[in-house]
Amino acid sequence: MSTGSYSTRADLRARERALKVLYERFCDILKDVMEGREPKLMIKRRTLSNTIYDPERKLLLLGDATLERSFLDSRESRKFMQTMLMASIVHEALSQGEYPTIRDLFYRGKHTIRYRRLPSKAVGEENTWDEQAESDSVLRDIEVFTNVLREDMLILSKEKGKVVGDLRIRSGDDLIDLSKMGHGAYAIEPTPDLIEFVEVDADLVLIVEKDAVFQQLHRIGFWRRYRAILVTSAGQPDRATRRFVRRLNEELGLPVYVISDSDPYGYYIYSVFKTGSITLSYESERLATPNARFLGVMMTDIFGSRKLGKKPYLSEEERRSFIIRAKERDVKRAKELKEYPWFRSERWQLELDEFLARRVKLEIEALVGKGLKFLADRYIPEKIEVGDWID
Amino acid sequence: MAVVEGGFRSISPAEFFYKNKEIAGFSNPARALYQTVRELVENSLDATENYGILPRIKASIRELEVVPEGAYYEVTVEDNGVGIPPKYVPRAFAQLLFSSKYVLKQSRGMFGLGAKMALLYAQITTGQPAEVIVAPRGSKHVYGFRLKIDIGENKPVILSFSTTSNISGAHGTIVRLVTLGDWIRSKQRIYEYVKRTAIVAPYAEILFRDPEGNCILFERSIDKLPPPARETLPHPHGVDIETMKGVLKSLADKPIAEVLVKSFQSVGPVTAQRILEEARVDPEKISGELSEQEVESLVRVMRSYRDVKPPRADHLSYLGEEIIVSGLKKVFDPEFVSAVTRRPSVYEGHAFIVEAGVAYGGRVPVVEKPLVLRYANKIPLLYDEGSDVVFKVINEKKGIDFKVYGIEFPAPLVILTHICSTKIPYRGVGKEAVADVPEIEEEVEAALREVLRELRSYILKKRRELEEVEKAVEIAKYIPEVARSLSKIYGVNPREASAKLLEALNSKLRSFKIADLDSVVNWDEHR
Ligand SMILES: Nc1ncnc2c1ncn2[C@@H]1O[C@H](COP(=O)(O)OP(=O)(O)O)[C@@H](O)[C@H]1O
Ligand SMILES: [Mg+2]
Repeated sequence: MSTGSYSTRADLRARERALKVLYERFCDILKDVMEGREPKLMIKRRTLSNTIYDPERKLLLLGDATLERSFLDSRESRKFMQTMLMASIVHEALSQGEYPTIRDLFYRGKHTIRYRRLPSKAVGEENTWDEQAESDSVLRDIEVFTNVLREDMLILSKEKGKVVGDLRIRSGDDLIDLSKMGHGAYAIEPTPDLIEFVEVDADLVLIVEKDAVFQQLHRIGFWRRYRAILVTSAGQPDRATRRFVRRLNEELGLPVYVISDSDPYGYYIYSVFKTGSITLSYESERLATPNARFLGVMMTDIFGSRKLGKKPYLSEEERRSFIIRAKERDVKRAKELKEYPWFRSERWQLELDEFLARRVKLEIEALVGKGLKFLADRYIPEKIEVGDWID
Repeated sequence: MAVVEGGFRSISPAEFFYKNKEIAGFSNPARALYQTVRELVENSLDATENYGILPRIKASIRELEVVPEGAYYEVTVEDNGVGIPPKYVPRAFAQLLFSSKYVLKQSRGMFGLGAKMALLYAQITTGQPAEVIVAPRGSKHVYGFRLKIDIGENKPVILSFSTTSNISGAHGTIVRLVTLGDWIRSKQRIYEYVKRTAIVAPYAEILFRDPEGNCILFERSIDKLPPPARETLPHPHGVDIETMKGVLKSLADKPIAEVLVKSFQSVGPVTAQRILEEARVDPEKISGELSEQEVESLVRVMRSYRDVKPPRADHLSYLGEEIIVSGLKKVFDPEFVSAVTRRPSVYEGHAFIVEAGVAYGGRVPVVEKPLVLRYANKIPLLYDEGSDVVFKVINEKKGIDFKVYGIEFPAPLVILTHICSTKIPYRGVGKEAVADVPEIEEEVEAALREVLRELRSYILKKRRELEEVEKAVEIAKYIPEVARSLSKIYGVNPREASAKLLEALNSKLRSFKIADLDSVVNWDEHR
């Protein structure tokens, strides 16, 4: 372990655990090979059809359908080879105390295989993988197969989540006070499970999809005033941000509120925090926060609702200047969302129907346009106060 | 030359053919050289295989002297056939329309013209006599003739005759003549003819020496001869007025009922009675006394008379699957070959048999579209293929779709068809194309489909095997990578792991095995 001496204890423990699991999980393959059997990997399928919504736990989970990846099946042999190759380079990186990114893993495993086609004997050349999509895909398979997430294999990815609030954590061997970040914020580390929560003084977690809005709320001291941990995912949430939020909710017992744009993409971002994503459903169990609440921006915030007895936050004139006409693909996406089981609640259907009827959307920035104070001191606290969120 | 008063005159057959050489294929020096070789070789084949003799034929062309129109060539064809009784030799070779083949029997020659046309052409172009040496089977002597044709009288002129004793006991015929030819222009055609002849006569040993000094030998590759053609009686359905007149003339003093029974297949006394009744001809009438109308009516009734057995085919000399396969193998050295001989069938009262063969892969030349070697009564048909019945059957637009049989052109494919019958319905006088008689067309198609079906299963099997090979490589090429990965995690010997993986792969393969992994994938290229 060349760089091992610089690693923190938490890293070392994670390494040992991941190495052990990798070693054990692929042992059957080794046995198959050495005993002359056909080596087969049984891996749960990561397909939409094998993505199941568990309404009890409010999670998107991987179903039980498995695929059999046999090395001796010519349609699967390449994938099999790639899976084994990935396992071996992850294993190597772990045992050498490295922190590869998924891009590193791609380069580390990429090389050319030279072979002869038969019966022509023509020389063929082929790369172990050509695009990162291929190496990423087998890495996901390994996560599913070993039930160890990449963070726990100390694989880093580019993370963009940020957090501020009255919270002190230990990351590596350092103690960090998230209330003393100045105008900046703490960048959530790629391995959030190695973070230790030391001390917290907050009542809630507020996730703001948009980085700019997060900064504005931070600068006017929103989190101090409302005893919030302020988080931004800066768009689609990455894994670390999701895992971090989940831990805030689960371990510190803080309620989690999400505000995003009022359009199907914004709603979906919320649902990724809450239930998990379709492509990465195998991680939901550890990454999703089933208790997360959608605070806004809702269609009914814009237009009010007779049915809910709700008044709009925007005047007729404000609406005219702030709302944007929905595009065709927004409409299409909204229709898809309507069909997802985790959007089937009456409340969500009402929002989506409203969207489809009016075919308009609204960005959070529009509320800032009405006044940052309106957003920080009226809209957000009032909605939390009266419980105007969707579960 | 018989001169009749008033300027009318009749000419002898020799004179007629002399003036109309092109009818018999002697239109120019190039065609003539080709036709000469062909006629003589075909006579030799007829004189051997029809008599149960495995043919051994030597044909050679030697250039003697260049002349403006081409050159004088000495053409010699020698065989081990039955020979000809010496008394018939002059007429057989020097009197047109004299033949031993004017009977209803399948043979190559049938007009009694071939040898004579060759001699005639030689004589008129070079003025030289032909030499014929015969040793009839069992004869104690060898007879030598130098012959010319008296064109005006259509009579042989014997310039010399010799007898020597036959010490070796060999039998056969040698024909040698000097003729005007054009080797350069006929070279390709002659070679094609010899090759195609060899394909359907693998039981023959054929040696050909060309004027450039090149020699080609087609060795015998099978000791089996086709069943000999036998003489047969005409079938009532195939009779025409001319044939009928010939029949009546040959037995002119016999009652017509008896003549029918004696002269036709499948006609017994009862059938003869019924036919004559229907034709309103008195069965007792002497056949020489039938009126023109009676002959016509009789022919009409016979042609359509239903209650007779179909024509017999046991007199036909087909090649048989074995011979076709052997011939195709010998000449093309293919990867796959198959042949079929269909059951006899009938058109217009004539029995016929269609055969087909295919050769595929190996050294078969690759062709852009189906190439068919056509034969009729074992004679290769080289020209005029566009108007042949076979062409119609494989016609690109309406004919057999080769894709159905797994064949995509260009393909290394050669197809052979053989039609044999006592009467081949040639299109025109050229004897190069068979007319598309529906019954024959149907049989040709069925025969072709039959062999193509076999080819198809071969191609499919081969394709499956090829797929297996390709798939095996798809897997084998990753073995080092997988072995090395396992070695990195578990410290096992990667060579050992890869040997195990190869073993597991090989045990799954059915049609082939990878003996040596290094022949498929390069270990050292990897880290
Ligand atoms: N090489 C030969 N061996 C034996 N007989 C032959 C040979 N060549 C010709 N003949 C005899 O001469 C006859 C005349 O031959 P040809 O003029 O070619 O007419 P055809 O072949 O049509 O009968 C043949 O019918 C055959 O009896
Ligand atoms: Mg002849």
